[in-house]
Amino acid sequence: MIRYLRLYGYFLRFSFSRAMEFRLDFFFRIVMDAVWYVVQFSFFWVLYRHTALLGGWTFDQVMVFMGGVFVVDALHMTVFSNNMWWFPIYVNKGDLDYHLVRPVSPLFVMSVRDFAANSFVNLLMAVAVLTWTLARYPAPLGAGPVAVYVVSLLVGTFLYYVLHMLFLIPAFWMHTSHGLREIYFVLGETMTRPVGIFTGWVRSVLVSILPFGVIVSFPAKSLFEGASPGPLLHMAAVTAAAFLAMVGMWRWGLRSYVSASS
Amino acid sequence: MIEADRLCKTFLVHRKRPGLWGSIRSLVRRERMEKRAVRDVSFRVEEGEIVGLVGANGAGKTTIVKMLAGVIHPTSGEARVLGFRPWERDNRFRRQIALIMGQKAQLWWDLPAADCFLLLKEIFRIPEDLYRERLDYLSGVLDVREELHIQLRRLSLGERMKMELIAALLHGPRVVYLDEPTIGLDLTSQRAIRDFILGYREEHRPAMILTSHYMEDIERLCRRILILREGELVFDGSLAQVVERYADHKIVTAHLRGQNGPVTAGELAPFGHVDHCDASMIRLRVPRGRVAEAAAELLRRYPIADLAIEEVEVGAIIERIQRAKGATRAP
Repeated sequence: MIRYLRLYGYFLRFSFSRAMEFRLDFFFRIVMDAVWYVVQFSFFWVLYRHTALLGGWTFDQVMVFMGGVFVVDALHMTVFSNNMWWFPIYVNKGDLDYHLVRPVSPLFVMSVRDFAANSFVNLLMAVAVLTWTLARYPAPLGAGPVAVYVVSLLVGTFLYYVLHMLFLIPAFWMHTSHGLREIYFVLGETMTRPVGIFTGWVRSVLVSILPFGVIVSFPAKSLFEGASPGPLLHMAAVTAAAFLAMVGMWRWGLRSYVSASS
Repeated sequence: MIEADRLCKTFLVHRKRPGLWGSIRSLVRRERMEKRAVRDVSFRVEEGEIVGLVGANGAGKTTIVKMLAGVIHPTSGEARVLGFRPWERDNRFRRQIALIMGQKAQLWWDLPAADCFLLLKEIFRIPEDLYRERLDYLSGVLDVREELHIQLRRLSLGERMKMELIAALLHGPRVVYLDEPTIGLDLTSQRAIRDFILGYREEHRPAMILTSHYMEDIERLCRRILILREGELVFDGSLAQVVERYADHKIVTAHLRGQNGPVTAGELAPFGHVDHCDASMIRLRVPRGRVAEAAAELLRRYPIADLAIEEVEVGAIIERIQRAKGATRAP
């Protein structure tokens, strides 16, 4: 474990030194994310001009929820996203070869080797937005529940990454995963809406088979509904199941890996 | 150290007809075909040996290397490298092997090699003093100490290849796979890499498998070669054995002095196959058993200024073996 942390330390160092070369990229990413935050907030602001409750959520609750969405998204963008982008390309072009002959988990390396240092400022911005939404919440939330909320958002980020990988690993058989990646992004949009607004089988799917509805909604639900551990236990179970599925699929995928001819 | 036993690898590929219509058709109905890249290949490589895998493009060289490095699984057959099944990817196995692919970089393009080596030190858990000692030795022998702190993308191809070699050897592997390590390099860099590999072999005695399309790599580095044709091993033996077995003749070249009129092919025909003859030069392919007799007869009959007896080029023999169908089989 300590060795993997040390390896991650190297990845961070390398990623920062590389990112320093592309200063303009820092700027554009910040602008892009700031615009996205404004659009998301505006969407709900407009909706709540016509109603006081949406799927049982008040406007202030949705603001805290959106703060959570921004943090999960920024964490994903910073820690995992670049790696997810490259993964199918590595599989398709046979660039995974070198990672398979080194005595370190290739899944770990392929998932986190490229830290998007130029998204790091966005992560700080998302944390600031979350802090602001928590601070402006009209009722006292308590330090304990807020701490649980933050930790469960980290679990949600991990689940978001695992789901992303589940949509990418088929590249071992399909040799590309553009289509699946697009489906992932479309489904990922459901994470940015409180799961309470969905009904029937769609909601059931979003909290079980394709648990995008769990990622931020369940931590927020737990924050607002208090003592009941149900949502968080559900989230833990879904995350563990998805993780096991990912590891199994990864191993299966490696068996089918054909590299690429030289 | 390396044992391959009836290794086979079959890839499933889909065939697409050309053009837009072909693409649409392949979307609806896909024609699949099996491509047998490696067929029943068996061999052993011992410590300190450099074995050359030789074959045309698509003969299965890289596929064999990738199976033995644990990158891909075989379709059937068995292999043991240092006592491990490579594709099980045991960390104890991976700590003792190295793979170098001339066509693929393993180092980070935007970073200086020295930074990448630090990461490898951590991955392979190389103790600090050993790491310093090896880096100092490898960078010194390869003459790239000054370049260690320069971004890789600013280095020449030859310098980058040297860095790739350092990266692969820092952990002191006992088995090294070299897949076209000199591809695209200029002659000076090719020579430097070859000299380095020979020196490294002498000093560290790893088992090495080398694939290359450059015959000079093979002739200089390998005492033993494996010739592959369409995935099949058709020869396993020394370079000298290739010549003995597949070249039943030698080349006899004679430069003539003051010959009156051209020598005719007809009068030379009894010695062997006439490749060239005119008033100044004769070149013949003479059966091995009759070389001495033919040379003596030529010296007796013609005013010869210079006479040379040479083996057929190994490259030409190998090329012929690769082209031939069903003519040869590994002993």
